[in-house]
Amino acid sequence: MTQGNLYAPYLMRVDEVVEETVDTRTLKLSFKDPEVAAKFDFKAGQFGEYSVFGAGECTFCIASAPTRKGYIECSFKKVGRVTAAMRELNVGDTMGFRGPYGNSFPLDKMAGKSLVFIAGGIGLAPVRCVIQNALDLRDKFKDITIIYGARSVGDLVYKRELDEWAKRPDVKLWQTVDPGGETKEWKGQIGFVPNVVEKAHPMALNAFAVVCGPPIMIKFTLPVLAKLGFKDDAIYTTLENRMKCGIGKCGRCNIGPVYVCKDGPVFNAAEIKKLPPEF
Amino acid sequence: MQELRELAKKLLAEGAVKVVVGYAEGRQGVRPIFAATPEDADKLIFDPRCVQNLATYLSPRRAHVAALGKLAVVVKGCDAMAAAGMIREAQRKRDDFVLIGVRCGGVLADPRASAAVTEATVAARCPGCEVREPKIVDHLLGPLPPAPPGASALDARIAELDAMTPEERFAFWTSELAKCVRCNACREICPMCFCVRCVCDKSQPQWIESSPHARGNLAWHMTRALHQAGRCVGCGECERACPVGIPLSLLNRKVARVVAERFDYVVSDDPEKPAPIGTYRLEDDQEFIR
Amino acid sequence: MTRQMFISESALKSLAEELVKAGTRLVGPARERNGDLVYREASDLGEIELGGDPPTRSLKEFFLPPTEVLLTYRQKQGDVEVTPAPHVFAPLVVIGARPCDAAAVAAVDKVMDWDYHDELWFGRRLATTIVSVACGGGDASCFCTAVGLAPDSAKGSDVLLVPVEGGFHAEILTEKGEALVKAHAARFTEGGKAEAAKAYRDAARGKVQANLSADPAKIRAFLEAGFDHPIWKGIALRCHGCGACAFVCPTCHCFDIVDEPDSIERGTRRRNWDTCQAAKFTLHGSGHNPRNEQNCRIRQRMMHKFAIYPARFGEILCTGCGRCIRVCPGGMDLLETLDKLGRLPAGAPAEAKRGAP
Repeated sequence: MTQGNLYAPYLMRVDEVVEETVDTRTLKLSFKDPEVAAKFDFKAGQFGEYSVFGAGECTFCIASAPTRKGYIECSFKKVGRVTAAMRELNVGDTMGFRGPYGNSFPLDKMAGKSLVFIAGGIGLAPVRCVIQNALDLRDKFKDITIIYGARSVGDLVYKRELDEWAKRPDVKLWQTVDPGGETKEWKGQIGFVPNVVEKAHPMALNAFAVVCGPPIMIKFTLPVLAKLGFKDDAIYTTLENRMKCGIGKCGRCNIGPVYVCKDGPVFNAAEIKKLPPEF
Repeated sequence: MQELRELAKKLLAEGAVKVVVGYAEGRQGVRPIFAATPEDADKLIFDPRCVQNLATYLSPRRAHVAALGKLAVVVKGCDAMAAAGMIREAQRKRDDFVLIGVRCGGVLADPRASAAVTEATVAARCPGCEVREPKIVDHLLGPLPPAPPGASALDARIAELDAMTPEERFAFWTSELAKCVRCNACREICPMCFCVRCVCDKSQPQWIESSPHARGNLAWHMTRALHQAGRCVGCGECERACPVGIPLSLLNRKVARVVAERFDYVVSDDPEKPAPIGTYRLEDDQEFIR
Repeated sequence: MTRQMFISESALKSLAEELVKAGTRLVGPARERNGDLVYREASDLGEIELGGDPPTRSLKEFFLPPTEVLLTYRQKQGDVEVTPAPHVFAPLVVIGARPCDAAAVAAVDKVMDWDYHDELWFGRRLATTIVSVACGGGDASCFCTAVGLAPDSAKGSDVLLVPVEGGFHAEILTEKGEALVKAHAARFTEGGKAEAAKAYRDAARGKVQANLSADPAKIRAFLEAGFDHPIWKGIALRCHGCGACAFVCPTCHCFDIVDEPDSIERGTRRRNWDTCQAAKFTLHGSGHNPRNEQNCRIRQRMMHKFAIYPARFGEILCTGCGRCIRVCPGGMDLLETLDKLGRLPAGAPAEAKRGAP
C-alpha cells in the first residue's frame, strides 16, 4: 500500500495561462486524478499550498468560485523562487496543490443582503472568488457593488471579467486607478480606492463589505466604511501572513491568539481589531 | 573597575553617548549590560569572565540596539578588531560610537566559569594574542595584565589536523558538521556577519541548501569560512554560540593562517589596512587558481 | 491505576541488551567524542547516563528531525510522479529520557494532531517507547516546577523510573509501557519501592522550586493583556536573534518546507527546523515584515509558549528544561524574565490597550 501524508499534494494540470499584467498571471488548473476532481470541494475564501516541484510551495487563495466546478484558479505575482517557477509553467504542465485550507467568507450569513466588494491590485483575487460565487447565485443577494482599483490601468487584473461585470445591469462596478496611472482611453475613476468608496457611497443597511488589497488601502478604507455606517462585524477581509504548512503546525502565521491558516484567512474587522498589529 | 564606571558615568552625563554597552554580573555569570543610567553604570565590571564580543552590538543589523542612540562599547583587543572591521568595510563610521578599550590578559572559555586564567582554563584563542592593548579605542583602561598563559590549544589541534591525510581530515569535518542544525547562531552572533542579505538566505538561485544535511551543512560552513577569510577577528563567538558544539574556531583560525601565509595579512584593529578579500595586488600568489 | 514495579540496575542492563539483540534501536543520553551529552543511539546501557546532566539537545529530534523528507518527486516532460515519505518506523526505546523532555513531546503531540494528524510525527511516536528517569533536580537554569511539571513528571513517559537503592522504582504508565514490561517480564519485580522513591522525588522538587516560584496563570494574564507593555521595548537588547534557544528547545516545533532538486528530473521536498527568532520567518514576498525587529520576535516566543498555546491547547508550551538559558550566548535568561513578568500586574499600562483578547 502506498502511504500518503499531509504534505503530499494533489497533482494538477495547467489548463490555461492568462497574462493579467506585466508581472501577474492566472493559472487555470484541473486535477489529474478524476476521483479527486469528483470529490474536491471548497468554500469561497479558502486557500491552498500550490507547488512547483523543485522550487517549493507557495500560499494563495483559490481565486475561482466553488460554484464553478472542475477547475480552480490561482493568480500570482512574480516575487520569489516559487512564483518565478510558476511563471515558467505552460499549458499541459503539472504542478502540486494541497488544500483547501482555512475558513471561508460567511456566504450563508450574507444571503439576502447587499454586498459591497472593495479590492486593490491583486487583492481582487480572494474577492473575485466571492464575487463569482455570489453572481452564480445572484437571486440570493440584493445589490452588488464592486469597487476595484489599481495603481495604473496596466495593473488591473481580470480585465475580461471586469468588462463582463461592467455590462451586467445587476452589478454596480466602480473602477479606479491612482492619479497618474490613467491612459487616454481610461473611462473609469481616477483616485485612491478609499475616496472612490466614499464617492460610490454604498448603503450600509443590510449590507456586508468584503475588502482586500494592500494594507495601506485597507487601513484607509475601514474609516470610510465606518463613516458610511458599516459595523465592524459586517466588514470582511483576508490576512495574508506568510505560511508554510497551511494546517496549523509550522507556526509561521501565528498572530496573537490566532493562526491565520486555521482561524482565517477570513476575518471581520472586529476580529482584526482585537489582534496584535503583526500582519 | 572604578575607572570604568566613572568613565561610563561621565560619558552618559555629558551626553557623549546614550548607552554604554559593557559587562555586568548576571544571575549566572557575566553578561552584557546596556547601561543608560549612573545606577546601571555602577554595575559595570571587567574580569576574565568577560568573554562576549560586545562589538557585535555595533553591527548595522542590530536595529533594536541602534535605536537606543549613540553607543559606547567596552572592548577587548579582539572586540576592537571587530569594530575596526566594520569601519574598514564601510559599515560604520569611526565617530558613530565610542570605544572604551580594556587591557586584557586573556579570558575564560565560558562567562559562567569562575576561575583564574591559567593554562588549563584560558580560552583556546587567547594564548599568543597580539592585541591585548587595543589601539583604535577612545579610552584605554586598566593595567596590562600578564600575557595569557601557555600555548594555544587551537594551534595544537590545527597541527593535528594538518598532519592527517585529506581523507581523514574530511571525515573529521564531515562528522563535526553533521551535528549542525542550521540555526544560524554562528552567523547571527558574528560581528563580521553583517550582510543585510546573507548568501545562505538567497533562493534565486539557491547557492546553499537550507537543510541540515551533509550537502547543505558543508556548503554553508565552507562558504562562511571563506567569506571570513582575512576578516574573522578570531573572537570565537561563533563556536561559543553554537548549540551543538561544532569547533568553528579551528576552521576560522586555519583559514586565517592560510591568509597570513598567502597574502601576508593578519587581521588587526587598524581600520585603514585594507583586507585582502577586497584588494588586488599583482604580487599575490595565484598558483591556486590554475 | 499505574502499576508499580522494581527493576535493578543489572536487570535494566539486561533489558537493554535484549532490546538491542532483538534489533530495537536503543537511545539515551550518551557522550559524544567532544564530551557533549546528547540523546543518541547506543549499543549498550553502559554508554547511557541515567540521571545527571541534561543532554544539550532535547528528545524532539527523534520525532521531528532537524531535516526530514516529506516526499520525493520525479518529473518528465511536464508529468510528475510523487512518492510521499513512508511513515512507518522501526521500533525505538528511549531509556533515560528526562521527564521534561518526555513532557515536551506530549505537548507537541497536540499541535501535530490539531485537526490534521501529522503521520510522520505520529509514526515515530507510535514506534517509540519512552522510559524516563526522574531527574535529581537539575541545575540553576531548571524551572519545571514553575510550569506545572516536576523533576518526576510522568507526562509523556511510558515508564517512569525513580532511582532507589540498587535500582529503580518503576511506574508503568501506558499500554506501550505495559508492553515493554510484558516483553521483559523477568526483569521486573512486582510492588515497586514507592516509599524509598519518595525521598528522592521530594528532594528533587525542592531543589527546582528554589530556582523560581512563578504563577503561570498570572504570567498568562499579563501576556494576554500586555502586548504594548513597555517591558517589550528593551526585552531583546542582549539577544542576537540567533535562534539557538528555539533549536535546543524541546517544545519549539516551527518548521520550514523547502524543495531541493537533485537534478532537473528528481528532488525532494523537506521540512526543516525553523524559528520565530529568525528575521526571515515572517517576511512577506512583498518585503513587508510584520515582526521586523528582535523585540517583537522575543515577545512572540514568550506569548506563544505562555499564552497562545495555553489558550489553544490548555497547557504551557515550555517544560522548564532551561536549555534556552544554558545555550544563550547573549545571556538572555527566561527564568529571570518569567520571574519579572509574574510580578507585573496583568493588563497594559493605561496608554496602551491593544492586546490579545
